[in-house]
Amino acid sequence: MSHKENTAEVESSNMTGTEDPTNDEMLVQTDVSDGLSASTSVSETTNAETIIRADDINVWYGDEQALQNISMEIPENSVTAMIGPSGCGKSTFLRCINRMNDLIDVARVEGELTLRGKNVYDDDVDPVALRRRVGMVFQKPNPFPKSIYENVVYGLKIQGIEGDYDEIVEESLKRAALWDEVKDRLHESGLDLSGGQQQRLCIARAIATDPEVLLMDEPASALDPVATSQIEDLVEELAEDYTVVIVTHNMQQAARISDKTAVFLTGGELVEFDDTQKIFENPESQRVEDYITGKFG
Amino acid sequence: MATQSDTDQIQGFGQVSRTTGVIFRYLLMGATMFGIVTLAILLVYVANDAIQPLTADAGWYLVFFVTFVAPTTLVGAYLYRTNVDALKLGLLVVGMLAVTLMFSGGVAIVFVDIVPPLVSLSYAIGLLVPFAAVVLMTKYEDAIPFTARVAATGAIFFLSLFGIPGYYHSIPEMVQKIPVVPTEWVIITLVFGGVVAVVVGQYFARIRENTRAGVVAGVAALAATGAAAVSGMFTGVNPTALAVVAAGAFVPTAAYAGGAALTREEERIGLLLAAVVIGGSLVGAGIVDVLGFAGPQSWVDWQFLTSSHSGTAENAGLYPAIGGSILLMVTVAALSFPLGVGAAVYLEEYAPDNVFTRFIDVNISNLAGVPSVVYGLLGLGVFVTYLGQPTGTVLIGGATLALLILPIVIISSREAIRSVPQDMRQASYGMGATRWQTVKNVVLPEAFPGILTGTILALGRAIGETAPLIMIGAPNVLFNLPTELSSKVSAMPLQVYAWSSLFASEDFYTKAVPAGVVVLLAVLLAMNSVAIVLRNKFESES
Repeated sequence: MSHKENTAEVESSNMTGTEDPTNDEMLVQTDVSDGLSASTSVSETTNAETIIRADDINVWYGDEQALQNISMEIPENSVTAMIGPSGCGKSTFLRCINRMNDLIDVARVEGELTLRGKNVYDDDVDPVALRRRVGMVFQKPNPFPKSIYENVVYGLKIQGIEGDYDEIVEESLKRAALWDEVKDRLHESGLDLSGGQQQRLCIARAIATDPEVLLMDEPASALDPVATSQIEDLVEELAEDYTVVIVTHNMQQAARISDKTAVFLTGGELVEFDDTQKIFENPESQRVEDYITGKFG
Repeated sequence: MATQSDTDQIQGFGQVSRTTGVIFRYLLMGATMFGIVTLAILLVYVANDAIQPLTADAGWYLVFFVTFVAPTTLVGAYLYRTNVDALKLGLLVVGMLAVTLMFSGGVAIVFVDIVPPLVSLSYAIGLLVPFAAVVLMTKYEDAIPFTARVAATGAIFFLSLFGIPGYYHSIPEMVQKIPVVPTEWVIITLVFGGVVAVVVGQYFARIRENTRAGVVAGVAALAATGAAAVSGMFTGVNPTALAVVAAGAFVPTAAYAGGAALTREEERIGLLLAAVVIGGSLVGAGIVDVLGFAGPQSWVDWQFLTSSHSGTAENAGLYPAIGGSILLMVTVAALSFPLGVGAAVYLEEYAPDNVFTRFIDVNISNLAGVPSVVYGLLGLGVFVTYLGQPTGTVLIGGATLALLILPIVIISSREAIRSVPQDMRQASYGMGATRWQTVKNVVLPEAFPGILTGTILALGRAIGETAPLIMIGAPNVLFNLPTELSSKVSAMPLQVYAWSSLFASEDFYTKAVPAGVVVLLAVLLAMNSVAIVLRNKFESES
């Protein structure tokens, strides 16, 4: 895939633009993401499988604490689900990973969150460069009021990625399982699509730039059951190439598609984080069991 | 028996008094109608004075009733009952023709009496060259450093427009020195008509999905413009003006109507209304001319629109004031649009929420309410007294009016920017866009229709202002059109004011003043209707 190499170049130049020695590690690991030198990664990171590591993350919105001492390790090329009742902070945690919380004036983040060993909250990390490596799909489908084609190439254009756009558009839409439905009307507005199609367009838009991690914030909550199951199938397929972190309200959805599950409960604490099977069959904590069996929440 | 007693009980519920509510409702309705009705009565009164409909022959009315009013009413009623969308299309075409006629008439004034076509052509070429160079540079954006590009852009524009004194002439100068200079109407037909022809051609190529159709339409458009200009040489009307009006009004309206006929099968019957309105009025005019029925002795006539002030109300005209208003509008738009939109983007997208920005917020709202005479004083103080500019020029007047409407432009632009959904910004930032990229690619394109609407409405406010112009010393009477930014300027409301104060007499009160007011209101209504049509169009699209 030709644009993949270009992506890596752009990313690495963005992330190491300051010539800071601590960023050398990032360069090596960017190569790892392309599978070029997988053997070096073992010595560089404590756990080769971990791509995102949160260490004691606390988030405040003004005076209100939204997350309390969150620590977890998210493995590469897998689906990690975050479940929990409304207002428990699961979306907030998701937005910590690509620093979307920076856009909220009153939000304050403490703690360490590393992406491939580099703390994304270090002073020398440019949040814009970070977001180019961490794609995001939002709760409400939000295509731009442009053509389907322009929606998919938006990220390529703003990130200055060159390549055969037609080919990238076709490939991204195919991976987002939307190509067959829209191939004859690529130049019509993205807003003319149905809700489920719009959300798949947003996924195509996010993967067109080939990010390392894909964050999904309740991507199916605004969709009907058919569209939801399409999105679920898609997430499972995407996990072969990407690390997917998905927030969901729907426990069955988490059980169906995720490899690991994090259960957040009210007050912004992470109660349990383990293999999905273990969480749903034999949770350690009574509170998690109560939540999963529907006794509250 | 049981049902009987049930109904008895229901009848026994009684009535709840609504008298207070009904009175309140009609009071509110009265309050709503009071202002509108009063203004309508005034306008009818003024229009009656200006147009004098009662002076026309009965035959004149009869002819126009038969050829124009009756068919239009019939077709309109038929469309209203069968196909409202078609009726809307027909009204839009008629309105488009009226508004474009008015505006292209204004543009014709500019080309005939203010900026000679050769000069505008030479400056158009002088601007085209550096624009082409800039477009070329953006192709190699990555190869040239940003600062070098900025410097090169500035240099190219300066060299092209001003040249190096003594060594090298600017491009506009060189164009004007070309020995073979085509006549003015040829220039207008080729440049103005050419641009319109390209747009029309692309429009038809798109809707027919056929390049040949586009070429045919474009050539037809250009030919129509040329034919209009040539016909002027035989009829004695200024060919340059005819070329402008053809390219600015007839060709676009015909192209829109033709495009609608081709693409909107269900609504194309509405074009019948446009045909009846235009055909009926032409036929009526012809018959009246042949039979010799006299029309109303309207004071708003060709003479009024094309001559300057005179000692007698019968010979007085609005021409220099119309030209002055056009130049003022161009200056105001050029100054207030970038400043206002820039401020709005800063306040909405960049400014942090702190005491300082809230202070600015409140004060912009207050500035919008400051009386216009105060802005006139500001203009006088800043531009004339402090900067030592001559009084009453186009530039000073435009700058003062721009200051006056700046708060309105800022407020309406902020409103438009705020109405762009937050989801769009989130999506853009989530893709790794910088703030600048988000503003440029997502926020501004979405907000643009709203910004444009707000700016047009604000310009409508500026065009009706008198007090600031009096304050900065604009002359009450002007016999020639202003030809450059530093010439003295008059404006339509100022001329009306002068007639009603300095030349106050029964004659001016009943003839020139109403006529001037009617022209001013017609221009205002045209601008506002453009703004409303734009807003409705873009609202229904998104």
